[in-house]
Amino acid sequence: MSTMGPGSAGAPRVESLNCPNCGASLTLRSRANAITAVCESCHSVLDARDPKLKVLQTFAAKASEDPPLIPMGSRGAIRGTEYEAIGFQRRTIEVEGIHYSWHEYVLFNPAKGFRYLTEYDGHWNDVSILRSLPDLSPGGATLAYLHETYRHFQTADAVTSFVLGEFPWRVRVGEMVHVSDYVSPPRVISSEGTGNEVTWSIGEYLSGGDLWKAFKLEGEPPPPIGVYENQPSPMSANVTVVWVTAAVLLMMLVPLMVLFFSTARDEQVLEQTYQFDTSSREEASFVTDIFPLKGHTSDVELATSANVNNSWIYLNYALINEDTGQAYDFGREVSYYHGVDSDGSWSEGSSTDTVTVPSVPPGNYYLRIEPESDPNRGIITYTVRMKRDVPQASFFGLAALALLVPACLITWRSLTFEHLRWAESDYGSPPSDTFLGTVQGMVDSAKKSGDDE
Amino acid sequence: MIRSLFLIYGLAVLALLSFAEYRGWSLDRVNQVPNVPKSVRDNPGSYRSVYGFYHHYTGGK
Repeated sequence: MSTMGPGSAGAPRVESLNCPNCGASLTLRSRANAITAVCESCHSVLDARDPKLKVLQTFAAKASEDPPLIPMGSRGAIRGTEYEAIGFQRRTIEVEGIHYSWHEYVLFNPAKGFRYLTEYDGHWNDVSILRSLPDLSPGGATLAYLHETYRHFQTADAVTSFVLGEFPWRVRVGEMVHVSDYVSPPRVISSEGTGNEVTWSIGEYLSGGDLWKAFKLEGEPPPPIGVYENQPSPMSANVTVVWVTAAVLLMMLVPLMVLFFSTARDEQVLEQTYQFDTSSREEASFVTDIFPLKGHTSDVELATSANVNNSWIYLNYALINEDTGQAYDFGREVSYYHGVDSDGSWSEGSSTDTVTVPSVPPGNYYLRIEPESDPNRGIITYTVRMKRDVPQASFFGLAALALLVPACLITWRSLTFEHLRWAESDYGSPPSDTFLGTVQGMVDSAKKSGDDE
Repeated sequence: MIRSLFLIYGLAVLALLSFAEYRGWSLDRVNQVPNVPKSVRDNPGSYRSVYGFYHHYTGGK
């Protein structure tokens, strides 16, 4: 959008008249194109085609009842053409006993004719009349227009409850039209029917900020409240893209996994079986022979298996670098218990344990082992196996999770947006034949089954 | 925009994963003790592990 100042080439001319009812001055901006005009002073609806401006209707309203956000006579460019705001009406529908009102602005350009702006709770649409009929599906659930499918959103009877300015049709307060909206964000196609006459129009969502700039309006536009029927979702367009990207990145995990699992040393550097006499009063700690840890800085995996049976053994380990004195100190318990009670058989623990010591530099190492156990247990046999540079599958799982979480979050945000959109429709939830509708259906089914249980 | 950000994020995840695998990171925690005297090899009992004096939970099931 851009703004053209008053008096630019192609700017509308105005015609000044007087209201036959109250004598107040009346301005006809669209001149011969106006069918009806409304006196701002006495709220008389006048026949603009009649030289005497015959009074068609007078309605009761306060002057300040519903001031238009875009004042009559304001000019601004929409899609490169300057339009002037010449008419304003409020329409109201009643759904489940609650009245909802939106505003419609009539815009006029002498060369291009009329177009319209609608506003509801800070949501704006640029509306023009359809030149060809859309293809309505049997049953009316969808319609097709210019190779795009629109889904039925809402049907209601709208009553004109306030008018101001001039109109290219015979407007009347209290007039009722049958309105149906079909959405394909950011567009909406609406039908307005009175008797046998149906008018089709197409609207495209506009930001209030752009409109304020175009019409050089003071202040800020009213902030949008909630999600509007054809408001484009900031996330929906990203859902497919993000999932495709996530799939590509997840597939990249496979060659990485093959690479690390095939190139890791996975070298056994120690395997020794020991016996621990729990009743002995002698010093239990001892050290292994020195063994080399080769290659670059990488992990060391230490696995302990013990013949514990309803018993435990605890091992204080210290992997000590003979050259630098750097030690990696850790303790591991191996315990295994099992039995039978009133609930049946049970078991807990395991006779094996594995720990991974991170980022151990290469060098000559030995292991200090200090076993502990129940003094009455007797002799416990345990085996210690140590491997160098063992690939960690858990990191691949964490990476997959890290890739999936943002995709799930974006999908969830998109679902929430669509849920809020369709909550205002005649259906209350997104259409079931869409991806988001399918996901929503799955979520609802899961919730329902959870409630049933 | 979102796709570019997600792609950068995803590549950063893969790069971090590769670095973690290469350097041998682990989710297990161990305590690092510097300057352990060489005498420990001759007298293992002189070393005092921070994980020593373990008290096994015997509550059982």
